[in-house]
Amino acid sequence: MEVVKTTTGEQLYQKVLDNGLRVYVMTKPGFQKKYAVFSTKYGSFDSKFKLNNEIIEVPDGIAHFLEHKLFEDQEMHVFERFAQYGASVNAYTSYTMTSYLFSTIEYFDEAFQELLSFVQKPYFTSENVEKEKGIIEQELKMYEDHPDRKIYNNLLEALYHVHPIRIDVGGTVESIQKITVDLLNMCYETFYQPSNMAVFVIGDLEPTRVFDLAAEHTVNWFFKFQEIQRIYPEEPVEILKPSVEERLSVSRPRYYLGFKNQPYNAGRALMKQQLAMSMIWRTIAARSSPVYQELYSSGLIDESFGASFSATPEYALSIVGGETDQPEKLDQRLRQAIQDLQKNKLQVADVERMKRRALGNYLASFNSLEYIANSFLSHEFNGTSILDFPQILEEITVDEINEMLNDGLDLKNSAVSILLPE
Amino acid sequence: MEHIQLGDGINLYLYETSQFKTITTKVFVQEELSKDKVSATALIPMILRRGTKSTPTTLELARKMEELYGSAIDADIIKIGEKQIIEFYFDMVSPKLLPNGEQILAEGLRTFGELILDPVREGQGFNQQYFAQEQFNLKNLVEGLINEKRSYAYQRALQHMCKDEPHGIYKYGDTQQIKELVNEEVFEHYQQLIRSNPVDIFIVGEGISQIPELIKEWSWHRSNLRQLRPAIVKDAGQVQEVFETRDVQQGILVMGYRANQNYLDPNYYSLVVANAILGVFPHSKLFINVRERASLAYYVGSSLDGSKGIITISAGIDPSQYDKAVEIINAQIGEMQAGKITQDELERTKIGLISGMQTMADNPASIIDRNVIGVVHGQLRSLEEVIGEIEKVTLEQVQAAANQIKLDTVYFLSGMRGDL
Repeated sequence: MEVVKTTTGEQLYQKVLDNGLRVYVMTKPGFQKKYAVFSTKYGSFDSKFKLNNEIIEVPDGIAHFLEHKLFEDQEMHVFERFAQYGASVNAYTSYTMTSYLFSTIEYFDEAFQELLSFVQKPYFTSENVEKEKGIIEQELKMYEDHPDRKIYNNLLEALYHVHPIRIDVGGTVESIQKITVDLLNMCYETFYQPSNMAVFVIGDLEPTRVFDLAAEHTVNWFFKFQEIQRIYPEEPVEILKPSVEERLSVSRPRYYLGFKNQPYNAGRALMKQQLAMSMIWRTIAARSSPVYQELYSSGLIDESFGASFSATPEYALSIVGGETDQPEKLDQRLRQAIQDLQKNKLQVADVERMKRRALGNYLASFNSLEYIANSFLSHEFNGTSILDFPQILEEITVDEINEMLNDGLDLKNSAVSILLPE
Repeated sequence: MEHIQLGDGINLYLYETSQFKTITTKVFVQEELSKDKVSATALIPMILRRGTKSTPTTLELARKMEELYGSAIDADIIKIGEKQIIEFYFDMVSPKLLPNGEQILAEGLRTFGELILDPVREGQGFNQQYFAQEQFNLKNLVEGLINEKRSYAYQRALQHMCKDEPHGIYKYGDTQQIKELVNEEVFEHYQQLIRSNPVDIFIVGEGISQIPELIKEWSWHRSNLRQLRPAIVKDAGQVQEVFETRDVQQGILVMGYRANQNYLDPNYYSLVVANAILGVFPHSKLFINVRERASLAYYVGSSLDGSKGIITISAGIDPSQYDKAVEIINAQIGEMQAGKITQDELERTKIGLISGMQTMADNPASIIDRNVIGVVHGQLRSLEEVIGEIEKVTLEQVQAAANQIKLDTVYFLSGMRGDL
C-alpha cells in the first residue's frame, strides 16, 4: 500500500491487487457520504479490436448497451440490491471508459461488495437484451431533441472522416438492433478484466479495510487474460468539411466552431496541453475576456457562449460557440479575434490571474467526492494524475502556452456547425 | 444552523464546519409570484450581475473574481411554491487555504454586498446599456424554454394545471411583458424589494464567526416591511387533457396530480414517502413498471412540490404508446391507494430518502437549499427532525396519503398526435 498526501490535505492510498486491479482510496474525514466507482477502460471508441489474431468489429453503441445490461441479475435487480442499504447506484459510458458507481451513508461494506460483484457477473439473455432495445431507443430519441447534443454531433461529423468520435456514445437506433447476447459476452470478456480496470473509493473510511474487501470480493473473479488490441482507423489531420447546418425546433440559431487538434499523447504533456488550451480559450471566451465582453455588448452572444477543450490520448478537440441571432457575423468576429490573439499572444498578467483562478477551483473541487473520484480515474486511464495539477499549474509558463497558439487555433483544421430554427 | 436576527426582517443563518474547502454564501430576497411583477423581478438579478459601483464593468468584476482565486459571484431567480426569489451567490476558497485569506474574504464580501445593494446607476434607473442588453437576453431566455423539451413540457403542463394560481407563472416572466419593461420602473421595484421584502442570508464554512461583523456594513435602508402571502393548496377539479404538437422525435408525457396537503400539514411526510414509493428511485413503482417491465421509457419519475402539494409525473415515450403509458401510470397510483405496497418497498424508500437527506449535508449549497425551503414556509426543520418524521411513517399513513392524490391534468407534447 502506497500513501500520497495531497496539497489539499487529503491522503490517497493505492494498491495493485494480485489479479492486476488498481484500487485507490482517498480519506475524507467529516463526510457522511461514501462514494465508490468501478471503471473499465472501455468506451464507445472501442468498436474494433483484435481477438486471437482476428479483427472484430462490433455494432456502435455496444459499450453503452453493455453498461445498461450489467444491471440485470438472475435473482434480484441490481437497483434493488443497493436500495436495501439506502445506497444509490448508477453508471455512465463515455468515449473511452465505462463507470459503475454508488454512494451511501451506511452499509458501505455491503454496498461495495455488491458493486464489485455485479460488475463481475454479467447476466445476458436474449429476452432481456431485446427488452433493453426499447429503453435505449427512447434514450437516443431524447438526445435527438436535444439541441446541444445535435449541434455537437453534427460538428464532429464535419471535423472527422472516420474516427469513432463521429458516432454518439449510445450508437444509433439502427446499430443497437444488431446487438446480441454473443456480442455482449465477447465485449465483456475482452474489456472487463482486472488489468483493464480500476476502483476509486472516497469517504470517511479505513483504507486497509477497503483494500481487504476489494481483494476478498475479486479473488474468485473468473476472467481470461487477453491482450487488448484496439484498432483505430487512420484519421487524416485535415477536416472532412468546413461547415454543416441543420434545422431543429429551437428558438434561435446556435453556432459552434470546432477545431480538430492533435493530442499530446499521454501523461504530463497531455495535462499541460489541457491546461494551456483552456487558458487560451478563456482569453477569448470567458467573462473575464475583453473579446467576450465586446461580443456580449454588441448582442452577438449571451450567457450560453463559451469554449471547451477536451483531450484523451485518442483525440483532442476545441469547441467555441453558443446561441446567437447572427451566426455569420459571430463567425467573422471570432475568426478575427483568434487571429488577433495569435499575433498579440497571451500576457503574463492574464496568465497569472488565470492561474490563481485555476488553483482556487482545484482546491474547491475537493468538496465533491464524485468529482474527485470520477476525474481521478479518467485521468488515470490517460496516464495522468489530478494530484499533479498544482505542480503543472505552477510550472507552466506564458511562453509554453503561447507555443500552442498556432497549432491549437489553426483555422485550417476547423469546422462550423449551425442549428437553425425551423 | 445558528440563527441571528439582524432586525428589520433580515435573518442570518450560520453553519460553522471544517468539512469544506470553501465558504459559501447565499442571500435570498423573496417576492410573491404575480402576473404583474414577474418579469420586472426576473430582470433584476440579470442586471445586478453585470457590475457594481466600484467594479462597474462586467470585465472588471469577472477579473476581480479570478484574482480572488476563482471566487464565484452570481445572481439568479428561483421559485419555491408561489414565491419568486432572487438568489445571490458568493463562493470562495476557505481563507485558511489561501495566502492573505482574511483579506480576500473581506474583499469578496464587500464586492458581494455591492452587487446586491450598489448597482451601477444612471439617472433614476440602472445603467441603461445593462438594462437594455439584459432585457433582450431575458426575452431570449424565456423564448428559449422550448429548446429543452423536458423543462418546456413540465412548464406547459403546470401552466395549464394552475392557470388561476400564481404557481402556473414561469419564473423568468413573459416575453411581451419583458419587452414593455421600463428601466426606471424596474429600478423602483428593485429598491422596494430590497427595502421591504423578507431577506435571508446563509453562510456555510469554516471560521465564519467574524462574518456578521463584515456584512453589518451592508445598507439595506429597510422600511415598510412586507408580509408575503403563503401558497394556496387547491383540490383537483375536472381532469383536463392537453395535447400540444411540435416538431419533436420523442413524446413527453406530464401528468399533474393534487395531493391536498403541503409542507405545513402534520401528515406531510407520509406524502413525501408515498411520492417516493411511486416514482423517485429506480426501485420505485414507476421505474420498475414503465421502464423495466414495459420498456416504454428511458426516464420516468415523479416529483412533489412541497408548497403546493402537487405531484408531477413525467416520461419520455414513443407517441404511439400514449394510452399504454397513461394506463400503467394510473395503475401504479391505484395500487398504492389500494394499499398494495410491501414492507420492503416502504423500508427501502425510507432509507433511500433518509440517505438522500444526509447526503445533502455533504454539500454546502445543498445545506442552504434545504434550509431555505423551511425559511420560506416559516418553519425551519433540522435534518434530525425530518429524518425522525420519515422514520415514523407507516404503511397505513402512506395509503391514506395516496388516497388524497387526485389526477388534475394530463399534458402530452408530441410530433404527431395534435389532432387528439
